[in-house]
Amino acid sequence: MADGFFFLQAAADTARAYGEFPVIGARAAVWIAAEVHLMFAAFVLGVPMFAVVTEAIGIFGKDPRYDRLSKEFTRLLLVAYSATAIWGAILVFFLATLYPRFWAYLTAIFHVSMWVYAGLFFFESFTLYLYYYGWDRWKTGRAKWGHWGLGILLNVWGTIVMLIANAWLTYMMSPPRDITPTTDPTSIKLWHAIANATWMPINVHRLIANVVFGGAIVGAYASYRFLAARTDEERAHYDWMGYVGNFIAISALIVLPFAGYWLGREIYQYDQSMGITMMGGFMSWLWVIQAFLIAVLFLTGNYYLWIGMGRIPGAERFRPYTKWLLVVLVLGALVWGTPHTMIADSQELAAMGGSHHPVLGALGVMSAKNTAVNLMILTTFLSFLMYRRANKRPVVPWARTGTLVQAAMFALAAVVVLFFGIRGYFVEAIVRIGFSVYQVGAVLSCILFVTIIDILMARGAQSLGTIQWGKMPARSQYALFVLAVTFTWLMGLMGFARSGIRMHWHVWQVVQDTSKYAATPALGYASRMISLCVLIFLSLVAFVFWLGGLAEKSTYVPGRSGEGDAPHVGH
Amino acid sequence: MWVTNLKVVGIVLGTLALYTLIANKIPQVQSEVPQTLTLGADVTPEQLVAAGEKLFNGAGGCTTCHGLGTRAPNLLTDEKGAGPIGARCGKREPGKTCKEYLFESLDQPAAYIVPGYQPIMPVMTKQLSPAQIWALIAFLESQGGTVDVTASDIPQESQPTPGASPGNPGGSFAGGSTDPMALVTAAGCLGCHKLNGTGGVIAPDLTHVGARRTADSIRRKLLDPASSIATGYEKMAGIMPKTFGTMMSAAQLEALVQFLASHK
Repeated sequence: MADGFFFLQAAADTARAYGEFPVIGARAAVWIAAEVHLMFAAFVLGVPMFAVVTEAIGIFGKDPRYDRLSKEFTRLLLVAYSATAIWGAILVFFLATLYPRFWAYLTAIFHVSMWVYAGLFFFESFTLYLYYYGWDRWKTGRAKWGHWGLGILLNVWGTIVMLIANAWLTYMMSPPRDITPTTDPTSIKLWHAIANATWMPINVHRLIANVVFGGAIVGAYASYRFLAARTDEERAHYDWMGYVGNFIAISALIVLPFAGYWLGREIYQYDQSMGITMMGGFMSWLWVIQAFLIAVLFLTGNYYLWIGMGRIPGAERFRPYTKWLLVVLVLGALVWGTPHTMIADSQELAAMGGSHHPVLGALGVMSAKNTAVNLMILTTFLSFLMYRRANKRPVVPWARTGTLVQAAMFALAAVVVLFFGIRGYFVEAIVRIGFSVYQVGAVLSCILFVTIIDILMARGAQSLGTIQWGKMPARSQYALFVLAVTFTWLMGLMGFARSGIRMHWHVWQVVQDTSKYAATPALGYASRMISLCVLIFLSLVAFVFWLGGLAEKSTYVPGRSGEGDAPHVGH
Repeated sequence: MWVTNLKVVGIVLGTLALYTLIANKIPQVQSEVPQTLTLGADVTPEQLVAAGEKLFNGAGGCTTCHGLGTRAPNLLTDEKGAGPIGARCGKREPGKTCKEYLFESLDQPAAYIVPGYQPIMPVMTKQLSPAQIWALIAFLESQGGTVDVTASDIPQESQPTPGASPGNPGGSFAGGSTDPMALVTAAGCLGCHKLNGTGGVIAPDLTHVGARRTADSIRRKLLDPASSIATGYEKMAGIMPKTFGTMMSAAQLEALVQFLASHK
């Protein structure tokens, strides 16, 4: 036994830098292991955030339905944690055997953080077990607060685990500039390697993206259960759950582009050539695909809301506006999808008459794109606002004034976005970049202040009828599936972009990839890999959900119907 | 229920198929890895220019910003009436020849920024070998100018590609370093051996290897691991790599031998 262990240890430490993997090759093997692990990791980090927030709503609002919803999310986590760990182990084994020299390099720098990571994963798992299995035991009084504290602790562990893993991958992208190919990795201070240029932007971006992802997957789960429901009560419960999942996913999605801008800016500041490779180099077409996916997300998310208004009495008065919202969304998507600078050889550039298309070039620049995406965000927020107000008639004396102020805020935000979008064409690039801050600021301020006014205006509002939860056509639930698949695919695509801009470097300009897979593949190959990873992930998630269904059958318990927006059977 | 299941599977597969199809229909561009360029002493200007053109349009990534682009000066045709780069490179900086200016642009791009442009040019000497750099210079000179790059400009012993991993035929072991600890790390010695308290336990501790082996014995062991097996480690015979002699340069091997021999 000991001999075998020693032999394995020694075999891993041969002079070779790369190993071989049958049929699909070493790169594809690591790609699949890393991507599926990441998807599960995002799920088990996103859903606890979701669960702890809904549990808090249940506690503060004294509404047991939210508590039950939160527990149902958490039940899904148990098996998902195992899957995350299994895929993580597969990834580590693949790295150690297929990229042994590079793995030795990383461990030489990060070994201490890897030990901490393993310890935290242990704590995280046991906190989850306590959180779930203690749910019914600690459900009242101070014990409930303690239980909620466990949920927060679970999120703290999970977030720290994510920060550590992010340090490893961001070091590969943006190692500190004083580190060179001849730097002995054992001499690199751990914190110096962790606190690299893209670490914090990736942390923030992933944190938000995990919420989006968790919401989308929960939405898909709910939609399946809705479609499979046998009773009106079940349909009502899962309709409501799907709505909550979609609401959280879309709400977090709205701020995600801003975190993305920050990450992009840091990449440019760290290394211009890396930024140019990303946006204007061989990866430029990737952003056209990304724009298409974002367009699908915005359109599908809004479509779901618009269909949902069909089950809300009083929503008819807003229906005429939806076609105009659709026009803004489609136009915005088309502008966002217009290519900026495509990589081309000298003949292609000459044929086009320059690096920009003579007609579409004007729409492909950041001024137009920022304007388009900000208007799409405003439009989506307006859709949500109409949904929220559909069955309410405000009775506060200042209701009309409040509505006018809200409309003025929308108009002002749109004017600011358009003004700086147009002005951007007439100023230097360095000034233009700063304009995006004003555009984003206007949109976020509008969302914040309009929401505050709306909450105040809704106090004591007259109800035009209860939301008929469960009375949703099946196509609305399929829309939730499209959202989940698209979010997952988008995550795979952005992972390819982040990793691919290193090109033939394991660690940018420090450790070169000299394997036969050093060239970063074209989008066609990448898309097939992404689809395969998404399929593996969703198949396993379906299995996890099926197991969850075996463990406990959730049913809606009538009571307190008619209060708030919680499920109400549609009769 | 089966109908619902099939519909769900259909929606998932259909969505995946749509995205995959679109991504496969757009132009397929793969990043290229700069290939090792070996140029003999009798390399001709035409060969240099041809190699440089390939780099310019491919792995060098130049066309992303140059060419007819607007992010960086146009190098291939006219730039504000001054002609292509070969015609204007000798007039850019006073006292600098075309060749000197182009080398500076690739080695220290921030040293001179053409008015109206941002300092976004990466340091190409960190990404390309000297032979590749000089081939690029020859190609740029050929754009409206005279190619005066010769084999004598290229260092006889090409420097390693920066960051090249050990075992890379195009680079060199440990990035060419002769730092003994860098060699120990790059060779993975500590996976099996312990040195100064760090490392594996399946091979003899090297902390005092100089006390039991001479420099000659260590050198022989590195070049031919089977030449002697330490007592008690017979079961591990054959595990130590036999390739150090071909992976390391003579200077690196000697540095490692003397380093280990000094550990008495």
